[in-house]
Amino acid sequence: MPTLTIDGRTLSVPGGTTVLRAALEAGIDIPHLCFHPAFAPEGSCRLCLVEIEGLPKLELACSTAVREGMKVRTETPAVRESRRRVLEFFLAEHPIDCPICDKAGECRLQDYYEEYGLTESAFREAKERRPKKVALGEKLLLDRERCVLCTRCVRFLREVTRTGELGVFERGSHSEIGILEGRPVATPYGGNLVDLCPVGAITDTTFRFRTRTWFLSARPSICPLCARGCSIVIDYHPGFPRRPGSAGVLRIRPRPDEAVNGFWICDLGRYGYLDLHRRRLSRLYWNRGGAEAGMSRDKVLALLGEKVRELAARGRSSRLGLIVTTDLTVEELRAVREGLLARLPGARLWFADPPAGEDDGFLLRAERTANRRGAAGLGFEIAPVDLAAVGNGLDLLLVFGSHLADAGPAESVGQALSAVRTKVLLSPVSTGLESLFDFVIPAALPSEKAGTFINADGLARPFEPALPLCGETWPEEEFIAALAAEISRGR
Amino acid sequence: MDSPTFARALGLAGGPSIEVYLEGGGYRAARKAFLEMTPAAVLDEVKKANLRGRGGAGFPAGLKWGFVPARTDKPKYLCVNADEGEPGTFKDRYILGHDPHLLIEGILIASYAVGIHQAFVYIRGEYERIARRLEAAVAEAYGRKILGPDVFGTGFALDLAVHRGAGSYICGEETALLESLEGKRGHPRLKPPFPAAVGLFGAPTVINNVETLANVPGIILHGADRFVGLGLPGDGGTRLFGVSGPVVRPGVYELPIGTSLREIIFTQAGGMLPGRKLKAVIPGGLSAPVLRADEIDLAMSCDALVCVESMLGSGGIIVIDDKSSMLDVLLRAVRFYAHESCGQCTPCRLGTQWLRKIVERLAAEGGKPDDIDELARLASGIKGRTLCPMGDAAAMPVLGIVQKFRSELEEAVCRP
Repeated sequence: MPTLTIDGRTLSVPGGTTVLRAALEAGIDIPHLCFHPAFAPEGSCRLCLVEIEGLPKLELACSTAVREGMKVRTETPAVRESRRRVLEFFLAEHPIDCPICDKAGECRLQDYYEEYGLTESAFREAKERRPKKVALGEKLLLDRERCVLCTRCVRFLREVTRTGELGVFERGSHSEIGILEGRPVATPYGGNLVDLCPVGAITDTTFRFRTRTWFLSARPSICPLCARGCSIVIDYHPGFPRRPGSAGVLRIRPRPDEAVNGFWICDLGRYGYLDLHRRRLSRLYWNRGGAEAGMSRDKVLALLGEKVRELAARGRSSRLGLIVTTDLTVEELRAVREGLLARLPGARLWFADPPAGEDDGFLLRAERTANRRGAAGLGFEIAPVDLAAVGNGLDLLLVFGSHLADAGPAESVGQALSAVRTKVLLSPVSTGLESLFDFVIPAALPSEKAGTFINADGLARPFEPALPLCGETWPEEEFIAALAAEISRGR
Repeated sequence: MDSPTFARALGLAGGPSIEVYLEGGGYRAARKAFLEMTPAAVLDEVKKANLRGRGGAGFPAGLKWGFVPARTDKPKYLCVNADEGEPGTFKDRYILGHDPHLLIEGILIASYAVGIHQAFVYIRGEYERIARRLEAAVAEAYGRKILGPDVFGTGFALDLAVHRGAGSYICGEETALLESLEGKRGHPRLKPPFPAAVGLFGAPTVINNVETLANVPGIILHGADRFVGLGLPGDGGTRLFGVSGPVVRPGVYELPIGTSLREIIFTQAGGMLPGRKLKAVIPGGLSAPVLRADEIDLAMSCDALVCVESMLGSGGIIVIDDKSSMLDVLLRAVRFYAHESCGQCTPCRLGTQWLRKIVERLAAEGGKPDDIDELARLASGIKGRTLCPMGDAAAMPVLGIVQKFRSELEEAVCRP
């Protein structure tokens, strides 16, 4: 462990660490654009030049390995002057269109430009005009005037996804990022390019011009869309214009997490929220004769409680069915077992999960629910829905989650459901089957509640509510507790 | 002049052919190295000769060879830098075109000293005819079992491939050359690691200039002492100086290191053309800062030119007369570097562009003295901050011209 000092602070870091990494870990920020912790140093932006005692020239912090006794200074006049000069080159041809740039507010170049006070330009020549809306992929646009050629995007596609769709074309000041004709960025990890871009060159069509970044509140959460459980940040717009609940989500980003997802998330996790919002249920209602009648929680509880008590009293708990999903949290599943199943001996239990997808060998797992390990850990036998059993002699069916439609052909699911006398659906999003249920209760999305998932590698992924509840949402845990209390009350 | 290094076959009929080369004593040095000397002894001799690199940086060749690890599980490579692209430089083409076997002999000896079995010559794309000659010479050497699996019957294997570049200046930078040779974009690499440790295809690699290697047979044949005796202590031997511009006899001259610049221009090259007066000299290829006419009484050696804040560089001497405008010289220089910047690192990509735009504006519509200050400010902003030496190469000539010919520039720029 070599010991060095950076700006007078003594640090001990493992051998082979670079000066920049050592500084960043100690919370000392050395300006940089092309360096990214996931990649080998590139050394092309030239911003991270620092003074190292005993060396005649400024050295790159990103590529210089620490040595015992090294003395690094990152804020001397020479270092600051060097940064100013390099920034000046960047800014000479940059459009400085921050007022209309999506990156403004979280742009490194903008931060440095402010810090080094380079508001007066010495550049008296005409700036090069370059294309500002180059389609790189389905949701990715490139502004070549803003691009600083840090090549993070190119390196990500070469080193991480190994798909290599992007490259640098042309030479010198004509250099530009681009794709081969007809070969756009097609990797299901393309959204990461937007986060990687240190400036506003690569933008996301789902986010473009929708907000200013400083209005966003960054809320940590866990992605529920597969069994990896990536750490994410939900960028939420809480204020004006007010958007109901999860509609305030403007962007999902990866939250660096070495053990689970590194710096990345897949596009399913990044853009999946768009589909969830389209399908979001927000009203609690009773399907009565084809019309949706609004209901209060109390009334639903009273009706359900009575039915359950009646079945229990007649010793017919076996005519009660529960369909849950491994999308429920550990806490919710525990409540199902202890709050409902324990009180209803003989009740039937099935799991309705989405079909397995493909494991892409990187982040996305084949298992497309968040908590199968958690369910198994609680001792549940994860039995798939038996439609024949559902359609044969159930009086009451409680369905959690949105995956029942995947249990069989639509016709069979419909037939099975129609044979049940009372059916309750508790789901955050539409399943397409709502019309077949008597009661429809909007449940909470994982982003709206607290809980724990156990991911495919057995790691606990605890999370807190990131978003306010949407509409008349009744979080599952609260519903189960209330129903359990209702059942017990009558005894 | 007694010259143990070059000029044996230059100018002879059929000069490039192996018959002529052998007749003149060719491959005797290589035979001596292979049959009578150990690799270590060869290396020692080259170190003792103080053979400094002829490509521009002047790094001692023996030292460079010594950096290659003796034991490695990877192959070792020799890359000959024949990407002679520095404006005003045309010396390597003489060796490649007129005496290719001298280079091949140098390659043999260097490979033997370092334990290399695969060598490449990366030759400038524009040197098409010369590349064909070199290839013919390589084929001749294979035919005589001088190259191939059994060099001189010693069992030592050496293969040599000729690779033509595609015309980019930056590929003369050694790591960009390696990238290009690997089939990638010619972008310089971040150093360290240096090529001696991680070079071509990740393996230890020696990269030498053509002229550097062409000196090696002479050193082996006649001994380091004789070589050192020709030049200066610490900078041994002779150099090929390419003289261009309005002189009576422009051309390539092999002269001992330390020959004065005045002698080269006024004696060897025959002085200025009638009616022309010497105004300025660029002493070592375009990137070397310019000297005024009154600064040419100096010995041409790496160290002496550093003392006057210029450099010996590639030995390409560009003579500028009083009829030429320094603003034009500047314009050509900045256009060249803006065109040839690879675009990888910021100060060079954007700085050379900025310089070009300013000088083009000054040349087209004139400007103010502070435009000239701005040029110097920008050039000093590029210098020392780039990934490879090209940033300095682009900045130094600008700084030199602004410093030495400021009044002329002001006059040219500030029009009434």
